[in-house]
Amino acid sequence: MSDVRTRPVARGRVLLASLLIVGGLAGIVTLAELLRHPLPDTAPGGPPADEPAGDPRAEVTCDEPVPREGQERSDEDAASASRQFVRSNELYDCPQQFDGRRVRYRGEVVGAILRRADGAWVQLNDDVYADALGPLPAHRDFRGGNAGVGVFVSHQVADAIEAIGGPGERGDILEISGVFHRVDPATAEVAIIRSSEASVSAAGEPLVDPALADRRAAAILFLLLAAGLTVAERIVARRR
Amino acid sequence: MLLRPDRQDLSLVARFSGRVLLGLGGVMFVPAILAVAWNETNEAAGFVIGACLCLLAGMATQLPPRPRRAPDWQHGMVVSATSWLVGPFFAAVPLYLSGHYSRYLDAYFDAMSGLATAGLAVINDLDHLALSVNLWRHVLQFLGGQGLVVMMLSFFAVGGGAVGMYAGEAREDKILPNVARTARFIWRVALTWFVVGVLALWAALAIAGMPVWQGLFHAITLFMAAFDTGGFAPTSASVALYHSWLVELVIGVLMVAGALSFALHFHLWQRRTGELVRNIEIRFLAASLFALFAVAVAGLASTGAYTSTEALFRRGLFQIVSAHTGTGFNTVPGRMFVTDWGELAPAAIVMAMGLGAMAGSTAGGIKAIRVALTARSVMRQLLHLVLPEDAVTVATFHSGGSRQVLRPEVARSALMILLLYLLLYLVGALTAMFYGYPFDQAMFESTSAAAAVGLSVGITGPNLETGIKIVYILQMWIGRLEFIAVLVFMGFLWSAVRGRT
Repeated sequence: MSDVRTRPVARGRVLLASLLIVGGLAGIVTLAELLRHPLPDTAPGGPPADEPAGDPRAEVTCDEPVPREGQERSDEDAASASRQFVRSNELYDCPQQFDGRRVRYRGEVVGAILRRADGAWVQLNDDVYADALGPLPAHRDFRGGNAGVGVFVSHQVADAIEAIGGPGERGDILEISGVFHRVDPATAEVAIIRSSEASVSAAGEPLVDPALADRRAAAILFLLLAAGLTVAERIVARRR
Repeated sequence: MLLRPDRQDLSLVARFSGRVLLGLGGVMFVPAILAVAWNETNEAAGFVIGACLCLLAGMATQLPPRPRRAPDWQHGMVVSATSWLVGPFFAAVPLYLSGHYSRYLDAYFDAMSGLATAGLAVINDLDHLALSVNLWRHVLQFLGGQGLVVMMLSFFAVGGGAVGMYAGEAREDKILPNVARTARFIWRVALTWFVVGVLALWAALAIAGMPVWQGLFHAITLFMAAFDTGGFAPTSASVALYHSWLVELVIGVLMVAGALSFALHFHLWQRRTGELVRNIEIRFLAASLFALFAVAVAGLASTGAYTSTEALFRRGLFQIVSAHTGTGFNTVPGRMFVTDWGELAPAAIVMAMGLGAMAGSTAGGIKAIRVALTARSVMRQLLHLVLPEDAVTVATFHSGGSRQVLRPEVARSALMILLLYLLLYLVGALTAMFYGYPFDQAMFESTSAAAAVGLSVGITGPNLETGIKIVYILQMWIGRLEFIAVLVFMGFLWSAVRGRT
C-alpha cells in the first residue's frame, strides 16, 4: 500500500463493514426470492421426482436392443421395437449398440427447423420439460437440463410442424421412427436419427407468462431510488 | 508482516469496485430495453431491478469523500479480484428472476461461468429461456472476455492503479503507452470482429436453413461465445444444432481469433504479419494443436467411432480447437466423450483444455507462453549438462514484437503459475471424486472449469452437488484472474484482520 498512510482501520470496523456487505448481499438474494414467479413447486401432473437421468456415476449396461437395419430379427424383437420409444440418454449411453438400428423416438421440436435440399433437421427434446412437466418458468419443478437428439425428417413432416419450442412457445411433439446413426454416413453428423416415418402426436401452444405486478412495482421503485442516489452523488461531488 | 489497511485503502478498493458495478449496471439496461421490445415484460423488470441494484451499490461507494491517495498496483489487484467476485452476484439477479434456476447459487454459478468465459451451465430448461435472458448470458461472456475492469478503465479515469487493475485481470500486454488507450483498443478490436463475425455467422446460418431473424440472434450470441472463448450457446444442443460444416468453420475461425492475444491483434492491425510466424506462443499453439489433434485422431480411430475422414476432421479437429482455445462448444453430445470416444481422445481434450491459448487473450488455462518458456528453460538446463562447464548459454524467445532474453525470474514465474494451475485442476478433480465421480471424468470437468473452457462429460448440470458447484465457482474465479490478483486479495483480507498497525 502507499507510503502516505493514515491510522489503520480498527478490526471491529472491518468486521462491521464485512457484516454490512454480507447483509447487503443476503438482502439481494431475499429480494430476488420474493420477486420470483409465484408458482407451485411441483408441476401438476408431473412425474414423481426420482433419480435424475443422465447421472455419470450411474452404472450403464448396454444390452443388445433390436437387430440392425436390414438384419433378420425375430417377431418378438420387431414387435418390441415398434412399441417402445427409446430415450436420448439411452442412445448417448450406448451409441455402439444402437448404431444402424431402427428406433422409435418421441420429442418436442425445439430451436429451429433447418431446411435442406432433401429434407430438414429438427432437434427433438425428450426431457421432462418437453412432455410431462411442461416448460419453465410455468412451474418450479426443476429437473435438470435439456436432452434431445437431432432428427432428419422429410419436407412433408417439416411442413406439418406448426409450433417450434422456444421462448414463450411449447413445441409440437413429434413421434418418429427411423435409423439411429452414431455417425451419419451421408453428412458426418454425430448421434442423429434419419426418420422414415413421423407424425405430430401433440400440438404445441404459446406459453402464458402472466405479468408480475409486484416485480414491476419493485422495478419502478428501484429505478426511482437509483435515479435519486445518482442525483445525490452528483450534488455531493459538485459541492466538493 | 503485512500492514493493516487504513480507511483510504478500503475506500479506494470500494470506490473502484463500485465503478465496475456502475458499468455492469449500465450494460444491463440493454437487455432490459430489448426485453420490452420482445414483449418479455417480466424479464425486463428483472433487468431493471438488477441494473438499479448495481447502480445503487456503485453510487453508494462514490458518496464518501474522494481518497487523498491515488490507487497503487496492489489496490488495482484487489479491485480486480473483488469486482470479479461481486460482479457475478449482481449479474445473477436477472438470471435468477427468469425462473430457470432453483437456487441463487445456481444463477451465481452461471453468471461467474459467463463472465469467466467458462461456459459451464447449471440452468434448467435452457431451450425455453426468454430471449433477453439468453442474450444476457452471452453478453456476460462478451464483457468477461474483454474484461470487466477493462470496461471500467475504458470509461473512467483511474490514475496510478490502472496498471494493477489491468494486470489483475490477467492482462500483461502493454499494447499502447497508456492503459486507458489500451483498454479502448481492446474494445475496438472486439467490435470490429463483432461486425465481421456476426455477418459471417448470419450468412452461414442462413445457408444452413435458419430463418433470417432467428439467425441474427443466433449469430450475435454465437459470436460472443466464440470470440470471447466462452462456450455458452443459445440452445442446449450447442453447435450440433446447426448440422452445418460451414457454421462450424466460421465458429472455428472466431475461436482461433479469440485465442490470439490482443497484442498480436495489434501487430496484425499494424499489418506486421511476420509476428504470426515468429511469435513463440503461435509456434507453440500450432505445434500443440497439431500434436493433440493427431492424438485425438489416433484415439478415435482405435475405437472405430469415426471411420470417415470428414467425421474425424469435423469432430476431432473442432473439439480439439474448441478445447485448446478455451471455448467449449460441442458438436458431440458431452456424454459421448465417455461412452464413444475411448480413453485417448478425451485425454487429448483434457490436455488441450489445460494448456489453453495465448496470454492476453480471452482464453483461460495455463497459456502457451508459460508452457513454452518452461520448456525452453528446461532445454537450457539440459544443454548445460552436455556443454563444457564454463560455457555460457542464453535462451531467447520472440514475443511482443521483439526478441527477448529468457531471464531466470521470468522462467520461474512461468513455472510457478503452471504448477498452480495443475494444482487447481487437481483440487477440482479430487472434490468431484469425493462425491463419487470417476477420476477421468472428474479431471475432465475440473480442467474445464479451472481453464474456463466449458466442455462437459455430464457432471456439471442443475443437479450438481453444492460442494462441487462452490469449488468450480472458485476455480473459475481463480483461473480467470490467473492467481496473482487472488493471492493479493487474500493477503489484503489477511492484513485487514491480522496485519501490523
